[in-house]
This record gives sequence, structure tokens and C-alpha cells, in this order.
Amino acid sequence: MNRPETVEAIGKCLAEVLKHEVTDLGEDVRLFDDLHLDSTSVLELLMVLEDNVGLEIDPENLDMDDFRTIGSLADYVDRNLALRD
Amino acid sequence: MPGSPVTTTAANTDTRYLRAIKTALTGDPDTRLVLLCNFEVEQQWARGHIGLPDPGFAVSAPLVQRMEELGALLAGPDDFLILRTPLDPGYRAYAESAGTALPTQLVPENGAEAQSTAEAVLASPQLLRRLSELGREGARLLPMGVSALEQRVAEVCGLPLAVPDAATCERVNSKIYGRRLVEAAGLRPVPGQCCETVAEFAAALTRRAAALEAGSPVVVKDAFGVSGKGLVLLESPVRARRLLTMVQRRAERRGDDRLEVVVEDWLPKAFDLNYQVVVDRDGRVELDFVKGALTENGVHRGHVMPPDLDAGHLAEIGQAAQAVGAALYADGFTGVAGIDAILGANGLLYPVLEINARLNMSTYQGSVTERFLPPESTALAKHYTLALTAPLTFEAVRSALGPVADLDGPGPADGRRLVITCFGTVNAAADTAAANASSFQGRLHTLLIAPDRAGLAALDTTVQAALSQLSDVRPTSETTALNRKEQ
Repeated sequence: MNRPETVEAIGKCLAEVLKHEVTDLGEDVRLFDDLHLDSTSVLELLMVLEDNVGLEIDPENLDMDDFRTIGSLADYVDRNLALRD
Repeated sequence: MPGSPVTTTAANTDTRYLRAIKTALTGDPDTRLVLLCNFEVEQQWARGHIGLPDPGFAVSAPLVQRMEELGALLAGPDDFLILRTPLDPGYRAYAESAGTALPTQLVPENGAEAQSTAEAVLASPQLLRRLSELGREGARLLPMGVSALEQRVAEVCGLPLAVPDAATCERVNSKIYGRRLVEAAGLRPVPGQCCETVAEFAAALTRRAAALEAGSPVVVKDAFGVSGKGLVLLESPVRARRLLTMVQRRAERRGDDRLEVVVEDWLPKAFDLNYQVVVDRDGRVELDFVKGALTENGVHRGHVMPPDLDAGHLAEIGQAAQAVGAALYADGFTGVAGIDAILGANGLLYPVLEINARLNMSTYQGSVTERFLPPESTALAKHYTLALTAPLTFEAVRSALGPVADLDGPGPADGRRLVITCFGTVNAAADTAAANASSFQGRLHTLLIAPDRAGLAALDTTVQAALSQLSDVRPTSETTALNRKEQ
């Protein structure tokens, strides 16, 4: 996936978890503070990412910095997809 | 008459509610309590138990810790409240403007930022000495819930706990324990299973595959879920398989098949309920109150009182309260327990969704409602989430809210009133945010009072508008929920 595709895929995952469309997919949009993702929905987001993007995630080995913004999450997804390939 | 002034029952003395709790816990209504409101206690209980995969993002640790200020309006003037950070002086003056003195604050002189309040106490020799004196004078320590840390405080200071020890409290707070208690007591359980191994979890999900396929969600809860965490809603077989795979991968990696969760049907509901029992030292069980609980995807959002329950359902709750209290007592527990229940969309009451054998959010509202809620009026306890870029002063919040938040008079003629029940949570995350040069979320905890549900909804809207002058207030669904119930 190129970068816009990664960001779009993340937007779809977030919409599924948050149960509403995410209209602003700017890379500096913060997942917790701006989109109000909460600790309950993080595990769900991980499962949706596994389903939709094809990652295999170990939830207990994550760096919170990767989940700060849409951009940092896109970096995380790109990095892990590259490792998988 | 709704909205008529409520005379403070006894200025500068404990509420009847608090005296009843003191009597039940210690045998004496005049016992001086030292409150330690460790809202993070489930994190301690969860240690050593394997639950759902946990990303471990401590999103709001400072904010949760500052909720300890909620104890200020529960405790009496002769009691003590341990706080990491002293109450804001403006808030303290506001809270005392109703004519009731607050408890004495005890602030640990040491303690790293990341430590819990009990850990900070243990690192503070001066405070430990003060607590020892209080113990010698007959005071008792009442934590929100007792973990090994609070028990250690009690032991180090010789300040006895007003409730049982950590091992007892931890055991009776497991959701697996709660489900088994419900079944043994013959109460109506939520359809589901307890799982103590990954294999049992796989079997429980397999049993629900057809229901999931047909669109009936399933909820998986950690035996020791921290509020707002440790719960996942599965709405499709794909998601169930995904979660099972995550759990199996972890078990294989660790070579450990243990897992402590409950798997339950996610029942269509009319609404959630919360009630409180107090089990006294002789095993007598008192049902303190029943409230409607507002939740969003399993996360607590507020309480509404009184709930929309008919006499039959109230009687059923009364019976469940006695059964749960008796079973807890038989197992060595005394003290305060909050029980979550639901009224199903089918009209059936499920009287025990979970048992929290500790003080609950609603516990802290008891003295406030006794002082400010007129008979026949309604109340909504809720917090407003504020998006902030800099700390807010108490005066700014007070000014934005206007006369509706006055505590030193009869209140507005329309019977609508607001009590700020915790201010420290507004700025709790400010320091971390400043360090990262970012904005932060604050919470203003309140109790709204109005003659009826429509009035509550209108007041909620007014308060949101007032607070939006200060910040972006996160939209909430309470008003919608209240209006729906009013129909």
C-alpha cells in the first residue's frame, strides 16, 4: 500500500471501531485526544487492523507512541507490512 | 414540593448516610474514618491474573487518581481524606459554602508522580506518623477497595482497616466469583460461562458461533477488568476468531494456558442499573439505593436517580441484594458493595451483572444527594469531558456555570441546580500535556438536580453550552437517553 492507501485503510478501521465516519484523516489527528478512542476500543482497533490490513499484532508488545496520531499509526502499519513482506 | 430548599440535615456533622456506613463497618456511628480513594484498585487486583490481551496504554492515569477528591463530599468534618494533591482552595471554599465543613486533608510529603496514593503514603514518614496517631485514637482506614498496598498502609501505621483484608476483597471482586455466586444463590444469571483456560474460552466462543452469525453480540470480560478496560464486544464470528487467535498466540508464546474471563450474551436492554448494599459486621444487609446507570459500550457515563422501575422490579432487587449480601458475608466480606444489573428489553430483570465489593462511584454521591436532592426531584450524576490547552481556574468554571451552581442558598426557583463534586480532574492531565506541548482532556464531575427528567435534560444542555465557553465539550449521549426515558 502507498501512504494515502494506508491512511485510508486506517480511516476505515477507525470508523468501524468508533461507529462513525472519520472525516478528518490528517496525519496529525490524535487518536485519543481528538478522536476519543478509549482504552476499551484499542483492543477492538487492533482486531480490526488485523482483519482489514492483514497485520498480525501482539497487543502486549506495543509502543503507545505508535498509537498517538493517524500518522504514527500509518508508520506502524507500513513498517509491519514491510517486515511481513 | 420539587425545587423547595433542602435544609442541610445537620451542618458540620455527618450525613445520616455516612453515619449508617460507619455503624455498619465499625459498630460506631462516630468512628473517624481515613478515606483513601484508590480508584485504580482493580489494576492491583488484576496483577497475577491473566485476562484479555492488554495494550497497556495508561491513557488517563493522573485523571483516575485525582478522582480521589470525590471523597471530600462523602466524608464528614471529623474524618480525614488522603490526597496526592490538596484540594483547590477555590473549590474547597465553594464546597464549604453550603455550611458543611470538609474532612481534614492529609497529603503525603513524598512520592513519585507515577506512584499510587498508597505507595506515596508508604514513602512519607511524617504522614505515616500522623496516621499512627489517628490509629491510636480509634480511627479506621477506609480505602475505596483494599489491595495489598492499602493493607500495607494499615499494617505499617497500626491504623486498622474498616473492611476485610486484601485477599478477601480481591477474591470477591472477580467476575468469575460473581457469576458463581449468582448461580449458587439461584438468582437469574446473564447467559454465559466462566473460563479459566484458553480451551474453555475457545469452547465458550464455539458455543456462541451460531448466535454471533445470527447477529447476537457476545461480550468478553476480564475477571478483574479495570473500569473502562478489560471488556470487548464481539459482534461477528470473524471478530471472535480474531480475539481467540490473539489469546492462543499469547498462550503458546508464554507456555501458559490460564485465562480468567467470563463470556456472556450482550443482552438487549431497557437500561442499566446500579444498587448498593452494605453488609455489616454481624451480617445484616442493607440496600442503600437503586440508580439508573448510563453506560456507553460498557463504559460508565453516569447515574440517574430515581430509576424507572416498577414495584415488582424493585422488590426483586431487594431480594437479590439480600442474597448477594448474605453470600458475601458467608465468604468473609463485610462493607460496601455496588452491584450492576440490567433491565432487559424483554422486561426481565437480570439482578447481578457484576459485583464490585468496594466503594463505587455512586457511593460517593450519597452524602451529596442527602444534602441537596429535594424529595420527589430527580438527579443525574455525570462528568463533562473538556478539551483543554491550559489549566482552568475554579473561578472560571464557577463563573461560566453561573447561579445554578450556587450552594449557599435555596437554589434557583425552577428547582434546577448543579453541584460540582470533583474539580481536580479538570486539570489532572495538565502537567503531562505541558511536558508534551499538547492539549489534554479534563473532567468536571457534577450532580445535576431538577424536578423531572425533562428538566434534567434541559439543565444538561445548558451546562454543556456554558462549559463550551471554556473548552470543546465532548458531545455526550445523556440528554438523548434522558429524553428517551421521559417518553
